[in-house]
Formats: sequence, C-alpha cells, structure tokens
Amino acid sequence: MTGFLGQLAQVGGVAAAAWIAGWFASRAGFPPDREFRIERIGWSWALGAGIVASMVPIAFLARVRPSWPVFLVLAAASAAGAWILRVRSAAWGRPSEGLVVSRASAYGAERPLTAVLGGLVLLGVVLYLLRTLTEPMWSNDYVAIWGLKGKTIHASEGIPSRLFGDPSLGFSHPEYPLGLPFLYSGVSFLTGRFDDHAMALLFPLFQVATLVTLFGWLRRHGATRLVAGIATAILACFEPLYSAFTTGLAEVPLSLGLLLFGTALADALEGDPGALRRAALGSTLIAATKNEGLFFAAAGCAIALLFGGERRFKAAAAALPTALLVYGLHVILRGRLPLRDFDFGSASAARVAEALGAAVRLPGVIVWMQLALLAVLIVLGRRAPEGSWLLVLCGAGLAAYILLPAFAVRGPEWLVATSLPRTAAGLAPLAAAAVAIRWRRVIAA
Amino acid sequence: MSRLTRAAAAAVAAGLLLVLVLAAQPWGELPRRARKIAAYAPQELPVRRLGGSGTAFDRRYFSFLENARRRLPASAEGVALYGTPSGDPYVYLAHYVFAPRPVLFAPPAPPPGWVAAIYGDGRPPDAKVLHAWAEGAIAVPREAAATP
Repeated sequence: MTGFLGQLAQVGGVAAAAWIAGWFASRAGFPPDREFRIERIGWSWALGAGIVASMVPIAFLARVRPSWPVFLVLAAASAAGAWILRVRSAAWGRPSEGLVVSRASAYGAERPLTAVLGGLVLLGVVLYLLRTLTEPMWSNDYVAIWGLKGKTIHASEGIPSRLFGDPSLGFSHPEYPLGLPFLYSGVSFLTGRFDDHAMALLFPLFQVATLVTLFGWLRRHGATRLVAGIATAILACFEPLYSAFTTGLAEVPLSLGLLLFGTALADALEGDPGALRRAALGSTLIAATKNEGLFFAAAGCAIALLFGGERRFKAAAAALPTALLVYGLHVILRGRLPLRDFDFGSASAARVAEALGAAVRLPGVIVWMQLALLAVLIVLGRRAPEGSWLLVLCGAGLAAYILLPAFAVRGPEWLVATSLPRTAAGLAPLAAAAVAIRWRRVIAA
Repeated sequence: MSRLTRAAAAAVAAGLLLVLVLAAQPWGELPRRARKIAAYAPQELPVRRLGGSGTAFDRRYFSFLENARRRLPASAEGVALYGTPSGDPYVYLAHYVFAPRPVLFAPPAPPPGWVAAIYGDGRPPDAKVLHAWAEGAIAVPREAAATP
C-alpha cells in the first residue's frame, strides 16, 4: 500500500469512527422511529465531525494531547449523554402521503427513473471524490486560512496566541471560527500526521451527508422518491459547490450545517420530536464553521419569531443561543477581533449599487438559465410552510452575500468576484430542500 | 393550471435543470485527474503538492521552501525569508509550509533564534550558510553561529 493510500485508509478509519460516534450522539436529537433514520445518518457525520473537532480544545483545556483515548472518552460521554436525553418515540402523526404513495409506486413505473436518479447521485459523488483526491488541498483560502490554522494547531499541540495577535498572520483571518481547523487538527492527531491530501476525503463525506440528509428529510416530509431523488441528483452534480476549488474551504461543511439547521428549524416550528435540540445543534455547527453561521442563526431566530405560529418562541430560543455560545467561546479564546475584510462605515448608495451590479454581471448564461428554472419550480410549486421558511432563510443569506460586499475594504467588485460564487453555492442544499418540498403533494398525486 | 399540467411543467423544468447541471460539469478534466492520481499516488506528499495546482504559480519557489523546511535546525524558532518574489500566494505558501514556525519576509535581520532562508543565489556577507542547494540556502547570522 502506498503512502497516500495508507493515509487515505487512516483518514477513512477516523471518519468511520466519527460517523459511528455521531450516530450514537444523534440519539439526543432523533426518536428511534424508522422515518428519521435516513436523515439521522447525515446528521451523524456532522455530529461525529463535531466530536473530532471539539476533542482538540477540550484536550488542550484538560492539558492532555488529543488522541484516540480522548476521542473514545468523548464519544462514550456523548453517547451516554444522548441516551440519557434520548428523544422517545412520540406519537408520530405526520400524514406522510408521499411516503405511502412512493412505497407503493417504487415497484411500479417510478422504479426505473429512481434507479437512474440513484445512478446520477452516485456519479456526482464519484466525480467529487475524483476532484478532491487528485492532489493535496490547494485553494488560496485553504493554504492561507483553514489549513494553516489546522496545521499550526496540530504541530504546536496547542493554540498559539500568535494565530490571533501576529500582524504578519492578518491574512489568515484571525476572526474566523476555528471549527474546521480543529477538525483538521483532530483528524491529524488521530492519524498521527497532518496529511493535507488524504484529509481531502472529508469533503466527499460532507457531500454524502448532505445528500443523505436532503433525501431523508424530503422523504420524511412526504416527498416521493422521484421528487426527493431529482433534488438529490441535481445537488450531487452541482459542481459550483462540489468543486476542486472548494475542497478544503468552509463552504462545503457550512452548506451541510445550513441544511441541518434550516430543516431542524422548520421541524421545530412544526413541533416534530427532537427538532428543538436539532436546531440548537445545527446552530452550534454553523457558528463554529463560518462567521456567517451566527448570521444564519440570528436569521433563523427572526424567521421563527416572525412567521413561526404557536411554536415561535421555543423555536427561536433553540435557534440562536448555542450559536452565541460558540461565538462567546471564541471571544474568550482570542478576544474581540474586527472583520478584516469589512469597514461598516464605508457604506454608501453607490457602493450598494456597485455590489448589486457586480452580482448581476457575475453569472454566465448557464447560471442564469439555472436560476430561471429554479424560479419556475418555486412559482409552480405548492406552498408548503417548511419550504417557505427555508426559502426565506436562503433568501436572507443570499441578500447578505450580495449586499455585504458594499462594505468591503477592497471594494464591492473585488469581494463579489472572489467570494459570491462559492458562498452562494453553499446555499444550494437549503434551496434544494426549499424548492423540492413544494412539489411533494403535486407529484404524489 | 391543472395538477397534471403543473407536474408536467415541473418535470420539464427539473429535467432541464439536471441537464444544465450535468452539462456544466468539467468533463474534459476527468482523464487528466485520473492520470494524475495514478501517477502521483505512490509519491511522497510534498512531491504531490509540487505537482499540484497550489504550486503552479511558481513550482521552483515551493521546491525552495520544502528544501529549506527539511534542512531547518530543530532549534529554529522562526524563518526569515529573503529574495522571495512579492505577492499573496508567495506569502501564504511560505507560512503554510513552515507552520507552526512563524515567518517574516525580509526583516532587517532575523530575530534571535531564527534562521534565514534565502531564495536564489544571493548570500548576505555577514551570514554563515548552513545548507545551500539549487534554489537557495539557509543561513544564520555569524554572531549567532558563534554563540555556543
């Protein structure tokens, strides 16, 4: 076995252990019912990756080196805690007509088409796997930000204060959350080596977890295999998100986190069992991954309060506090740091117009056609409360990504060109869920 | 609009979206990626990075950094770089390669305990060269070298 394949197998082993640990931990957010099982698999990866990442600061706090024993203790503690706090099988009364229709039709005319869609999902995963494993992670933001911090934490066996205070490291954005660097260093502590090629394997796993969650959530909410399959196949093959360039960056993990958070928030507003806990966990994950995670958590909280009906306060209370806790822990660790790329005193109507103009000019013909088709699917679909909440969350994120460049220190045009394509692509899983859920009843009939 | 018409319209729109997403895939790069994995997988990690996209802007520079990293004394507290081109990718790559050691670009003199890594043929007159190779050298100030 070559060095690369050996390291790949080791990272795969760590990932498998994390996924299993996440499965046991997910008992705190999911009832044991069969309907939840598919999306629980997706959640398990996110929670498992969270356990690996959180192992690093927890071990440092306990003044021990992050290692397999520490991971196993944490995994066992999470599993035990999850068992104590387990969500019991509630009277699960959702009228899942799509599920019933789909189960009946899976052996009929729908079957060949769902098999083709399954093949396309597999194709999307294989293509992304090929892109991620071609070479060591290489994007500028990986080298300058996420990888640099992960490598530094691993090699230092600590969190050097210079990561936050050294002016020569300003380019590495000391104000960004440390979730992804902790994940890189955590995996490296467990494999015994910081291998930035083998660790690229984490990214197809984030993709698979996203696809599984999307499919499972749509199915549980009554979408047919066909509707859920089309949405999952389109997302699996969506190259702007699952590209060689985004490998190593926070967009792919964040896109999973946003899907988890958004769907859990929608579930919480509907009163699904365990959904409040899932929303709180999703909020934690997104706030630990990127700065805008806190924004999305706040947006989710606002959506719950504004549109949430009778469960608004509980859902809102689940959406934001854990994200604030993550932010607070970062402030304790590194102090309050300004957003390096932004000057909020620089806004003007002209800059907003410049940002909007740049955003409109950015997509090519193909992307505009894709957006137009998405609009057709939204307009023709049937209103579904979960879909509406997710669309508002998605729209809030897109608006922020388009307008924030108006405050960019290096100018709106620069930030739109360098970040909008990938940040907007990170909304794709959320958008897929929001649009597809509007078609569950039309296609089921 | 009837439910059937609506469903047909959705099927067409979703089908077209799927086709567009598939068409936008960079299919042409797949054979190159497959060949690259096969060719580089047996190589050690720095060689794989050397042949990758992240060093395409200046592969000789990465070779210099990697050679310097391998030759750094274990006691080196940081790396002062001299003779390197300017530009963000040069800065990012140097910090990444030498992490967790701190890096400075062309300080007046390397801080105490640091090592100078010199890109190219230039050699400061007041430095003791520890190692030299095709792309550069690492050196320490003479007074530091003389300190027991």
